[in-house]
Amino acid sequence: MVEIRFREVARVLEIGRSEMSVIELQDVTRVYKIGEVETHALRGVNLTIDEGEFTAIVGPSGSGKTTILQLMGCLDRPTSGRVHINGQDVSRLKANKRADLRKGTIGFVFQFFALIPGLTAYENVDLPMLLAGRKRSERRERANELLEAVGLTERARHRPDQMSGGEQQRVAIARALAVDPVLVLADEPTANLDTENGRQIMEIMQRLNEDTGTTFVFATHDPRVFPFARRVVEVRDGKVAENSRHAE
Amino acid sequence: MYRLWRIAVRDLRRNKRRSALTMIAVMLGLALVIALHSYEMGAMETSIKNNIRVETGHVQVRAESYDAEKVSLKWEELLREPQAVAAQAKALPNVRDAAPVLWGSGILNTVDESVGLRVYGVDPRAETMAPFREGLVSGAWLAPDDRSGILISWRLAETMELVVGDRISLLVNTSDELPDEAIFDIRGLYDSGIPGFDDVTVFMPLAKAQAFMRVGDRASAVVAVLDDQEDAGAVATALTAPGLEVQTWRDLNEMMLTLTESAMGILYLFYGIVMAIVAVVVANTLLMSVFERTREMGILAALGMKGRQIMGMFLMESATLGALGILLGVGLGSLAAYYLVNVGISLGDLDMSDVAGAGSGFALGNTLYGTYIWGDTVVLSVVCLVIILVASLYPAWFATRKEPIDALRAF
Repeated sequence: MVEIRFREVARVLEIGRSEMSVIELQDVTRVYKIGEVETHALRGVNLTIDEGEFTAIVGPSGSGKTTILQLMGCLDRPTSGRVHINGQDVSRLKANKRADLRKGTIGFVFQFFALIPGLTAYENVDLPMLLAGRKRSERRERANELLEAVGLTERARHRPDQMSGGEQQRVAIARALAVDPVLVLADEPTANLDTENGRQIMEIMQRLNEDTGTTFVFATHDPRVFPFARRVVEVRDGKVAENSRHAE
Repeated sequence: MYRLWRIAVRDLRRNKRRSALTMIAVMLGLALVIALHSYEMGAMETSIKNNIRVETGHVQVRAESYDAEKVSLKWEELLREPQAVAAQAKALPNVRDAAPVLWGSGILNTVDESVGLRVYGVDPRAETMAPFREGLVSGAWLAPDDRSGILISWRLAETMELVVGDRISLLVNTSDELPDEAIFDIRGLYDSGIPGFDDVTVFMPLAKAQAFMRVGDRASAVVAVLDDQEDAGAVATALTAPGLEVQTWRDLNEMMLTLTESAMGILYLFYGIVMAIVAVVVANTLLMSVFERTREMGILAALGMKGRQIMGMFLMESATLGALGILLGVGLGSLAAYYLVNVGISLGDLDMSDVAGAGSGFALGNTLYGTYIWGDTVVLSVVCLVIILVASLYPAWFATRKEPIDALRAF
């Protein structure tokens, strides 16, 4: 409901998609404590992602890309600073509230595909809708539509272990979009794919971004992926080092 | 709820072999408990029924001073005007029949052997004698005015090598504490189905017994049988009078009931142990499942599943697994109980009254039949399910402990 209202308001006010911020990170730090050792994963990150953007967060391993994605996805909470999703401060939300927010607002694509083994491609796509309490007929229509969009109609009844890595990642994308989220976060979506499959995944995400207006943010250190992004945010040592937009 | 259950069922199907083995453990555990319960309840019920049938009846009226332990024949300890008391009892609506009985002791002598016996003077027409009338193996039933006839059991006859028509010498204690001896004709042989009773009990008509034991028209007790044993309390109250002691079948079988109760206590403990083992098996399966699916928990959390939903999902898994196992267990257990109820277990010549000691009242007969009580099966099944769920709380809670990012790091 939140995102629907948000879009309606945006339309009424005739504010361009890019002018509405979906995510805003304000002076965010994240410190992990393992025993006595403190690891500063983020050291004061300021970043705004607007609606409909197709943004790559790039940087070497350990630079803090995944941590940013986890904070954006309400999977984690910042040590200090604020995280806003759709204008709502989620920095101090309790686990259940964050779970509620994730359920209807955010879709995830993980590096290792992260499908539920034992469930078919169709059932994996169906799962978030099942959790969100969607009607059966609506779920069926949406799951089939998404599987078709990622070119896997014929593989709908296959389980993850019967599919290639590229196919599994396409299912993961379909699943991420199942509940019509405002935001899709993808952590190294091409890291375990060959060049051709990696390219296909990026093309699919790009096309879905353009067709649906869903905001995509993906963390990557794969240089083959950079050209697909309309905006590149470079993270180094827990800070945003560079923030650039490609020409449309 | 339904959605969580659907996911839980999907998870169970994922590791079919493990789920099946866990289900079999639940099934066998519960089936064992149900069968054992049927056996024990059967033993208890049979024992009480048999005791009521051949020994105590539902209600007994005695003189207040009567000493049952000594099988007293003293005039002052016997029941006065027993026929009047019996008539009063018979007049009550819940009483099927009531008749006086005289209990004495004696020794049966043949040329070769002697054996100590209980000598019962009874009204052969009374309903209380029905089990023996129906159990007449050979010869004829006693007539009330038979002055020389006696009934012995076929087991005793076999032991003493006697047949119908043989004459035996019977020595009895009398009310003046002097023994008396008389010759009796064996009219018939009976079989009550309770070896411990049959081996030591002979019957003669009440009038003859009263004369033989010199007690006038007095009797040891009036024994009443009822249509419904639950009415015993009301009947006993109705018959209560000064100088009389009225006891119900519960009072008369007190020792057996106490022994059975303590045996049931031990048995319930055993049920608990079996169910706890079953629950540990289920909990272990669940815990293995939780460990294997740590990253799935992360994915589900990322998709918006809450901690309590994840916990609920695991509890539903164990509940589904438990419920299926319980259904199969009820099936198998009921089948075993059906066998016990209809075929029974032959005890041969073993009589539990011999094993438990004279007077314990364990009259089990030659075959022990089970008793199947649906209500008990339902209670046992529900208790089993509750124990399984309680044991599953820890693994289910454990599944919710990990933060989504920690769970996702398992990749």
